[in-house]
Parts: sequence; C-alpha cells; structure tokens
Amino acid sequence: MLWFLARRLAAAALLLFLVLSAVFFLVHAAPGDPADLFLEERLPRAQRERLRALWGLDRPLSEQYAAWLGAVALRGDWGVSLVHHRPVAAVLAEALPATLLLTGAAFAVDAIVGLALGVAAARRRGRAADHLIRWGSLLVFSLPTFWLGLMAILLFSHLWPVLPAGHLRSVGAEALPAPARLLDLARHLALPSLVLGLWLAGATARFVRNGLLEVLGQDYVRTARAAGVPERRVLWVHALRNAAVPVVQVFALTLPALLSGSLVTEVVFSLPGIGRAGFDAILTRDYPLVLGVTALSAALVIAGNLAADLAHGALDPKVRDA
Amino acid sequence: MRPPLFRLRPWPLAVALAVCLAGAGLAAGGCRPRDGGEGAANAAPDGSPPAAARPVRGGTAVIGWGSDINGVNELIVPANNVNDELLFQIFLHLVQEQGDFAEHPPTFEPQLAERWEFSPDRRVLTFHLRDDVAWSDGVAVTAEDVRWTWQAQTDPDVGWGELPAKEGITDVEVVDPHTVLFHFRAAYSKQLLDANEGVILPKHAWEKLPFAEWQKNADWFRERLVTNGPFLLQSWTPQQEIVLVRNLRFYDPALPYLDKVVMRVVPDQSAMLAMLRNGEVHFTPSLSATDVPAVRADPDLQLVAYWFKLFVFVAWNNEDPRFAHPEVRRALALAIDRRTIVDSLWGELARIGSSPIVTEVWAHHPRLQPLPYDPQEARRLLARHGWRDRNGDGLLDKDGRPFAFELVTNTGNQQRADAVVMIQEQLRRIGVQVEPRVLEIHTLTEQIDDGSYDAVLTGFGMDTSLDLHSVFHSRSIGEGNNIARYRNPEVDRLIEEVRRAPEIEQARPQLYKLQEVLHRDQPFTYLWESQRLHGASRRLQNIQSNILFSLFDLEEWWMAPAS
Repeated sequence: MLWFLARRLAAAALLLFLVLSAVFFLVHAAPGDPADLFLEERLPRAQRERLRALWGLDRPLSEQYAAWLGAVALRGDWGVSLVHHRPVAAVLAEALPATLLLTGAAFAVDAIVGLALGVAAARRRGRAADHLIRWGSLLVFSLPTFWLGLMAILLFSHLWPVLPAGHLRSVGAEALPAPARLLDLARHLALPSLVLGLWLAGATARFVRNGLLEVLGQDYVRTARAAGVPERRVLWVHALRNAAVPVVQVFALTLPALLSGSLVTEVVFSLPGIGRAGFDAILTRDYPLVLGVTALSAALVIAGNLAADLAHGALDPKVRDA
Repeated sequence: MRPPLFRLRPWPLAVALAVCLAGAGLAAGGCRPRDGGEGAANAAPDGSPPAAARPVRGGTAVIGWGSDINGVNELIVPANNVNDELLFQIFLHLVQEQGDFAEHPPTFEPQLAERWEFSPDRRVLTFHLRDDVAWSDGVAVTAEDVRWTWQAQTDPDVGWGELPAKEGITDVEVVDPHTVLFHFRAAYSKQLLDANEGVILPKHAWEKLPFAEWQKNADWFRERLVTNGPFLLQSWTPQQEIVLVRNLRFYDPALPYLDKVVMRVVPDQSAMLAMLRNGEVHFTPSLSATDVPAVRADPDLQLVAYWFKLFVFVAWNNEDPRFAHPEVRRALALAIDRRTIVDSLWGELARIGSSPIVTEVWAHHPRLQPLPYDPQEARRLLARHGWRDRNGDGLLDKDGRPFAFELVTNTGNQQRADAVVMIQEQLRRIGVQVEPRVLEIHTLTEQIDDGSYDAVLTGFGMDTSLDLHSVFHSRSIGEGNNIARYRNPEVDRLIEEVRRAPEIEQARPQLYKLQEVLHRDQPFTYLWESQRLHGASRRLQNIQSNILFSLFDLEEWWMAPAS
C-alpha cells in the first residue's frame, strides 16, 4: 500500500512539474505582458521598460524559468503577483476558501442527487421515471453553467426573491452572532452550489444508472434475490458496493469539470475564488499568479484522482495488489 | 437632411440646473455654490427625482462594481478606474478638478490646499495647505507629506505609471508646515493638473519602507493604512467587498452624509442588473445600453446618464500605402453610414463623433460637422486615386490588387464587434472588402505597436488637459498612443503650442485649428461619443457622477429612508 502511494505521489509530482513548465512557456509566449496593461491610455515606452526591469521580465526566458523553478522547488516561494504586488501564496490563500466551500457544497449536491437519481432510474429501468431522469439529466448537463446560474438568479433572487444573487455574506453580516452568520453563509452558497452540483449530477446519475444495471444483471444479485434478501438490501449493499468502483472513478473524472465549472459559477455569483483570480491573472498576464493558480488547480485534481485510486484500491483488491 | 442628433442635449441644462437649485438653499447641500456648479448638471437623473428633501445623515449605500481594486497604494498598483474612484474617497488631493468644462477649462476647488497661486513668471506654484487636516491616526497633514509624496512618485524604483505628469517639476520645496512650492522647468498649460496628479500620502507612516522594497509589498501598506479623506477603509475582502465608513476626523464636520459605503464586486453584468433590481445594490456605474429599458421601467430605479469623454473611432494605419493619402481616408469615412450605426447600436444614448475633443468640452470646435454619408463622393475620390473596378468583380482594384483590408477590434465589446460588421457591409457597397477580426487586447496591442495592422476600431478617453501629444504627435508613433502612425508637421507644431500656452484657454485658436486639420486629414474616422450610464436606487440622492468620476463628491450623496 505504501509502495503504491509512493509511486503515485512521484508520478503526481512529475506530472505537476510538466504541467507547470508547459504553462510557464505558454503564458510567456502569449502576446503582451503586465507592463502592457492597456486601460484608458498606455504607459510610455520608457516607463514600460522600467517596470519590466523591476520585475525581471527583461531577462532571457530561460533565466526567468530557472529562477522561478529554483524559488518554487527549493524555497516553496511562488513569487509576487505583478498586478497585486503581494505574494502569490497570499492571494491564493485568500481565494481558496471560497472555491473549497463552493466545490465542496456542489460536490455534496452532485453525489447525493446523482446517486439518488441514478439508483431511482436503474430500479425503474425502461419506465417513465427512468426516461425522465435520463433525458432530464442529459438536458441539464448540456446547458452552460452560466446560463443556469443566471436563470437561477432571475427566478430565486428577482422574480421570487428568496435567496441572494451573489457574494458570500450579506452586508453587515460580520456583526451577527455565529449561528446567524452560518445561516447567512448557507443562504449565499445555496444557489451557486445547487447550480453547479445539479449540473454535475446530470452526468453522475447516468453513470450510476449504467453501472448499477450492469451489476444488477450479475449472477450474485440473482442469487441474493433468490435467497430472499430484501430488494432494498440487494440494491444498496450488494449491487451498489460493486457498482461503486466505476462511480468513484466518475467522481474523480468530474473534478476538473467541477473546478472549471466553479470558475464560471464564481463569476456569475460574484464569489471570490481561485477561478476568478486565475481568469483575471490570465487577462493581465500576471505570470506568477497564473502559475500559482495552475499549480493549485492541478494539485487539487491530482489529489482527487489519488484519493479515487486509493478508494478504488480499498474497494477492489485486484488494483491494490497489482 | 436629418437633424444633426449630435447637437441635441438629452439632459437639458435647464432641467439639471433646476435639480441643482432645489438643493442649493441647504447648507453644504448638493449644489454648493462653486465655480460653475456643474457637478449635478453632468448627472441629471432620468425622470424627476423625488421632491428635493433635506439631506439625511446616516445609512449604508451599496455600490456594485465590476472589478476589485488592486491595492491601497496607488503608486505601485496598476491604475484602473475602480482604484481611482475608491482611493479618492480615502485620500485627498491638493485641489479637486471640477466637472465644469463645458464653457471654459475646468476650475478647481480647494481640498488639502485652501488656496494656491503662481509666481509672475509662472514657474513657481505655491499651495497654502489647510491647517485642520489630520491623518486617521491623528498626525497633522503637512507640507512635508506633499514633498515626500513627490519624492515617492518620482523614484524610479517605485515605478509609478503616472510619472510623466511630474516631468516638468524640478523640485517641491517646503516653506513652512502649511506652505509648499512646486518649481517648474518652464511654464506650460497643465502645470496645476500635473502638480495635482496623485493623492498625498502619509510620510510618517509609509517612509519606513525603502522605495526599492515597494513593488513587492502591497500588503505592508494595507497593514499600515493611514488616510485623510472623507471616508475610512474599514475592511477589504479581495474580490468581494470594500467597506468604507465615515471619517469622524474629516475637516468638514458636516460631511459625509452616509455612515457607510459598501463597494461590492460583481463581475457579471446580468447579475449586477438583477442585484440592482432586487435592492442588493443601490448604485452601479457599469450599466450597458441594453440594460437601460429595464432600469427605466423599474419605478424604484433611476438612470443616471451623462456625456462621457470616451470617443470610438477607426484608426487607419497611415503608414500603409493604401491609407497614406488623406483623401482616401476621407473617402472611406464618407462611405461609412455612421447615422445608421449609432442609431441601431445606441439609439439616443450616443451621437456621431467628429473630434478627439468631445462635444461636451469647452474647446470642441463649434462649427465642426461630422462628414456626411456620401458613397457617390467616396467612389469619386477613390477613383481619383486609381481605385476602380477594372475586372468587374464588384471590388475596386489598383495595380491588379483589390482594395481589401482587415478591420480589427478587441474582444469583450459587443457594440464594437457589431460596428465592425456593419462597416464591412457598408464598404462592400462601394467595392471595398473588409475582413472583420476580433482580437484579444494584448494581441491587438502587439499589432498596433509594430504597425502590422490595417485598420483598428477602438476608443480613447480624452482628459481635460486636452494634450493631444500622445495621440497625434509624430514623436508618439510606437512610443505613446499615436496608433494611426500619423505624421503632420503642422499638427506637431500646434500640439506643442497648446502645451506651451501658459493658460489652456489662450490656446483655443490652436485647438480649433488642430481639430480642423485632423478632420481634413482623417487619421481617425470618428464613429461615436456615447453617454456613460449608471443605475441607481431612487433612494440614493444627490448623485454627483460626472465625466471625471462616477463617485464624484461621494461625501455629499445621501440615502432617503426606505418608505
């Protein structure tokens, strides 16, 4: 098990290195740099040159790469954002909680709703409920998240104003007692996490349904039923445990979708997450911040996959021993 | 002939003045008697506001903004408009430029400086500072702060973006704690603007960090934030909200009226409109033309609209042989039906442009008419320069090559993208083929920089210094913003004369002449000047938005109690 973990971690580190190196050269190859920020008027050329020199952007790219890699690998120093003028780590530390809250809540919605719908569809295979769930989930997953988000705002913040249209807390919420503050946070997270979670649940439900149907056709399920095991137990214990292997992999595969979906959701619902930090950083060519966001997102996805592999190993001894 | 729309004023001055007079009787009220008193005139709200009432002290206004500030130290963070708008609520300038530029150059109101005067040769500008202004930690604001701020602004390690404004200043001299002299190399027209560029910073709090360390330590300033404006920064949650509270030490004890101003970051335009309509936001400066009907239809909302300094144009690459002759550029301008473009994209919210000095500004040439739409004349002019359809394919050609070029604009602006397509269709009718292209701003900038583009549709905002050097002077090719790569010795001379005029008003003949030459030469073909659009709750009173700032004189805004 340890050997399995060590091998996986080494592969993850290598993958991270390759991803970051590729992104380093890609963002530098893109036209423009932070000194070129074009607002109402551009900085005079001499001023732009001075800023480039201050930020070390006038040095050869290979030298910049070596310096960046050295700082990251040896000191864990992700550098200073060229737009915010503060350490990249500080910018990310501020943005991470919102993204974790959103993706965590959305993942919970995805898992619960996706699983429930998938099981319901599998149990009613070929009947109206099955068709409804299959087509409904396909429809939701095909809609862009920003559109779903805007519709949710229109419905639940404007026409029937029960939930706030964005942000993580109400104006003045910091003065509230802790339970009220928590409720306030939950109200603010409700729309974005439901939108993102339900969007993902569409795909999850279909995978769960198909996985279950495959298992439900197996001999041991028939045996269990023949032995008089109650249907509820057959489904939730015998079948689902075996269907869990592909489902866990589906969850791991949805992690990148969850993160990219959270970018759009953060913009629509005005949430201060890493998706928005990264998006702004790309537009302003804030190289150190782009790399920091990439590293963090890649690490989250790799960690998610690693967790899925470990879970897979725990569920299926064949993988662990291989 | 249709009436020239661009002469109409949708917010007649009379109405605006009436709004202003209604509040004028109140002590320190909305339209305090000040030179011109134009603050409110620039922001006459749509429809009649509730009967003018006495300003109410207290309340919280929530302002929605599309982006966050970059930091609290304006010298090290890239300037953007939210940064300026916000920092100017917490930091003071020496003087405050006013929005009264319609009939004469803008006047200035006292801020940190209660009065100021030039020496007879105009090379020394003396500011007399108020003696009752304190930093938020209680330390008095003095001339030492003014001198040190200038040192920080001009230090090469600090890398301030507005540094060129200080190039004419040779020294800032402290005479006594409340008298400070700005020494200039020579007299020129925007000395006061240049001296006033940038807020005054707290020397005692910020001098402990060497200038060379500034670029990497934005947080250091945030932790030691000491300010002197009407509002204090209570908290800043990046990408989320900025909370401003009333500064109890502010030198005018009657102001501000609002107890609290919360600036919330709302990146999505549709979400912003939803928040405005459900009352989560009381004011938003970023309203698009398509949002206007919804705001007008809502009885709880008011539209704040005023002519803005932005003008949108097509810049022809003057170094491209096809666009090198002024008559060819003029022909292309004559073939663009700008009336149709402006009417269909903006309705009454924009007018056809004719000059880089926009119609609202005192120095706008009063007799300058936008070129008419005249495709016949366009064809005739092009034929004179050898562009004819020789092979019958419907396209003009010369030396065996058709007249075809790329018209580029930046991503993220639907109106510009639509205008490019409309121009394509209109020029096709005279046999000119346009390839529309929408480029990401950095890619576009790179093409503009190396002159590899054909024509670009973009926009500039002209400041009230009316210094056209960076846009049309031949020395600004590849260096400043002379993106059309336009060269005309006469224009160079006129621009230099405007700069050298001791008072900008004395340069009026040169400014008129410049506009005539630019109109004749068409290095840019102006498309439209549009109004700036803000949405606000009807409860928010005395909104002073003007061409300079959406949140102009925020300390005088107030909130009517909810009914």
